[in-house]
Amino acid sequence: MDFELEWTPEQQAFREEARAWIEIHAPRLPDHADPANLTREEYELQREFGRKLGAKGWLYPTMPAEYGGGGLSMELAMALEEELDRFNMPLPPYYDTGGKLGAAAILVWGTEAQKAHFLPMILRGEIRTWQLLTEPESGSDLASVQTTAVRDGDDYVVNGTKIFVGSSHGAEYSWMIAVTDPEGERHANLGWLMAPMDVPGVTVEPMDLLFVGGERGAASGIKNTVYFDNARVPAFNLIGGENNGWKVAGTHLEIEHGLLRSAVRGDPLTERVLSHARAARRGGKPLLSDPHLVDRLVDFYAESEVTRLLHLRNYAWRSQGRQLTYEGAQAYLQQKRSQLSKARAVLDVIGPQALVEAPDDWALADGHIEAHQRAAIVDQHPGGTAEIQRVIIARRLGVGREEREEPGRLR
Amino acid sequence: MDLLLNEQQRMLQAAMQDLLRRDFPKETLTAIDAGAASAADGWPALASTGALGSLVPERFGGVGGSFADAGVVFEELGRGPVPGPHFSSGVLASLLLREGGSAEQQAALLPSIASGEAAFAVAVTEPEYGWDAADVQAKAERAGDGYALSGVKFPVPDADAATHLLVAARTGAASVGFFIVPADADGLSRRRVAGFSTGLGEVRLNAVAVGEDALLGGAADGWPAFERAALRAAPILCAYQVGGTESVFRMALEYSRTRRQFQQPIGRFQRVQDHVIDIVNHLDAARWTTYEALWKLDTGRPAEASVHLAAALASEGYYLVCNAAHDVHAGVGIVREYGLTLHTKMSRTLYHYLGSPRHHRRKLAGALGLQAE
Repeated sequence: MDFELEWTPEQQAFREEARAWIEIHAPRLPDHADPANLTREEYELQREFGRKLGAKGWLYPTMPAEYGGGGLSMELAMALEEELDRFNMPLPPYYDTGGKLGAAAILVWGTEAQKAHFLPMILRGEIRTWQLLTEPESGSDLASVQTTAVRDGDDYVVNGTKIFVGSSHGAEYSWMIAVTDPEGERHANLGWLMAPMDVPGVTVEPMDLLFVGGERGAASGIKNTVYFDNARVPAFNLIGGENNGWKVAGTHLEIEHGLLRSAVRGDPLTERVLSHARAARRGGKPLLSDPHLVDRLVDFYAESEVTRLLHLRNYAWRSQGRQLTYEGAQAYLQQKRSQLSKARAVLDVIGPQALVEAPDDWALADGHIEAHQRAAIVDQHPGGTAEIQRVIIARRLGVGREEREEPGRLR
Repeated sequence: MDLLLNEQQRMLQAAMQDLLRRDFPKETLTAIDAGAASAADGWPALASTGALGSLVPERFGGVGGSFADAGVVFEELGRGPVPGPHFSSGVLASLLLREGGSAEQQAALLPSIASGEAAFAVAVTEPEYGWDAADVQAKAERAGDGYALSGVKFPVPDADAATHLLVAARTGAASVGFFIVPADADGLSRRRVAGFSTGLGEVRLNAVAVGEDALLGGAADGWPAFERAALRAAPILCAYQVGGTESVFRMALEYSRTRRQFQQPIGRFQRVQDHVIDIVNHLDAARWTTYEALWKLDTGRPAEASVHLAAALASEGYYLVCNAAHDVHAGVGIVREYGLTLHTKMSRTLYHYLGSPRHHRRKLAGALGLQAE
């Protein structure tokens, strides 16, 4: 049982090639504590870097090369990602759930023509895509969405409202689930559509939120409300066939529920807080002379380690093609709950300085500590609340039932 | 990076599962618990699997396996949970001999540990409880060519089942030595204590005379060797606790399906589901911290923080999952023949073994540089 990769000389050579290339091409951007501060100019630099990675197949290194991915092994992809981490540039280096989640769904459910049309532009970084799932009346009960997509000639006509969408600085495409058969049974009435954002009838309006997280270095900045008013989407863009949208969504929900690579890297907050604690003084004494605070820090560390290990298990098993059941939701639940307990530990250990944003106002770690106080709360709901993760775990384990719920299709 | 057992470990696991099915089925384990059968009856079968020599080098008749291999063996024993001195002898004592014993002591004792002919108990703690050197009050005084050992050791896991003891005793104001003492030595008395524990005992030493060669490694200060041994033994004890935790999980999951109240399986109620989910979360936290600690030991990486983290989580986890499983089972859970209480009792018994969760958290703080100067 190995917890780390052992690199062959060929893999090491690839890593060095990647490192040299990244040194030349990666933009050097500030590490914003709050991604809402990402400027348009900085975003464009990230996109430009994404297109360069995409041209080499390195933007989505494990996706099939025939569609613009890298076709690389898990080992080489990890080497590449570790090198990119050094520049705080995860893959992709900008918010793009179309690539991470949507492309995976298209690969499983799309026709050959759809894959040939959509995948290369996503995987090469030519377009960015947002996911449109949640609605004002459909949160935990995602299958109850009310946005409609009615067939009219060669198009679907879309009407409705999606919330908590995307990021700052726009997207070229969005994918969504919408009701394609209003008379259909629950779970058999939805379509999964790839919608262009530049058609008439699509309006994007930013939401005013406590914080919007996202992955480190590729944070989304803001979330939006997207209104559809008789927006026309080509019928070609319906993925997975008529009224099959719930199954298509099962693929990307499976990945979102705790199977994302980003979490394997561990949480940079942990070392930030521990190093602060080692040096800090309070009331004229070292902060660590208070055994209660030491206990808090040890709990904090334990939560981080368990989260990292559960994600690592999932990543390693999934990379080997092993079918996961409850493990994705378990890691996601652990991540969510640990963020809250860690935020409280931080407030105890660091004190009121944890609540201020600017270094001039006594903030620590350039505001990352303050941002975490907000992010910990915001992290509780994306991809399903903690309670929804519990529901998934119970169904997948078969608590109270002989039949265990099947995971979403990943291939 | 596979995070899976290798082929050889899967075979080892299967062999241990066969042993448990054949020699330690639930009926046997509950009978042992009730005093109607003896764990010693299964000892030869256990020894024959090589389980007791997992960590004993091949030249001394052991398997010479990795820490992870020993983890596989003890995880399966924990599933029972199979009681007996297998851990104290096969793991803790054999590691203590490896870390601190002289070549002669190793050659004389390790083969009989591996074969099961000898069973060691390790007597460290005392009524004024603790796992630090400063907590050892028992005295070793020079007497002739050897030593006279006096003091009270409690609790000593598996004291009554042992043929030999490794006794920690103060050789000076700042030094604690370990002494190899036959269990039938003059002046030594031992007894099992009754109550909510499995196999805990008391050992009284009243001027027990031992020779010079009884001192482990001839070292007046054997504590550093004990700390090294304990650091390596702890994750294997964790693996035993992980096995127990997994059994408790299986019981609770099965019961959530079969027990019906309000015209439906109780597992349909989210309050019951939450107990089972808490159990599987404790299980996996203990499992993966334990496996990582074993991997670090096997690959020579610094393992201190990982070991103390695993030890804290595995002890707390086993304890808490038993509580949660009792919530799921209600009255049925406390019926002894059902088998859940074997784990409940074992989770309490092991809670302090090699240090309580609190002890390991304190050590973890030290390993992370979180102790004030």
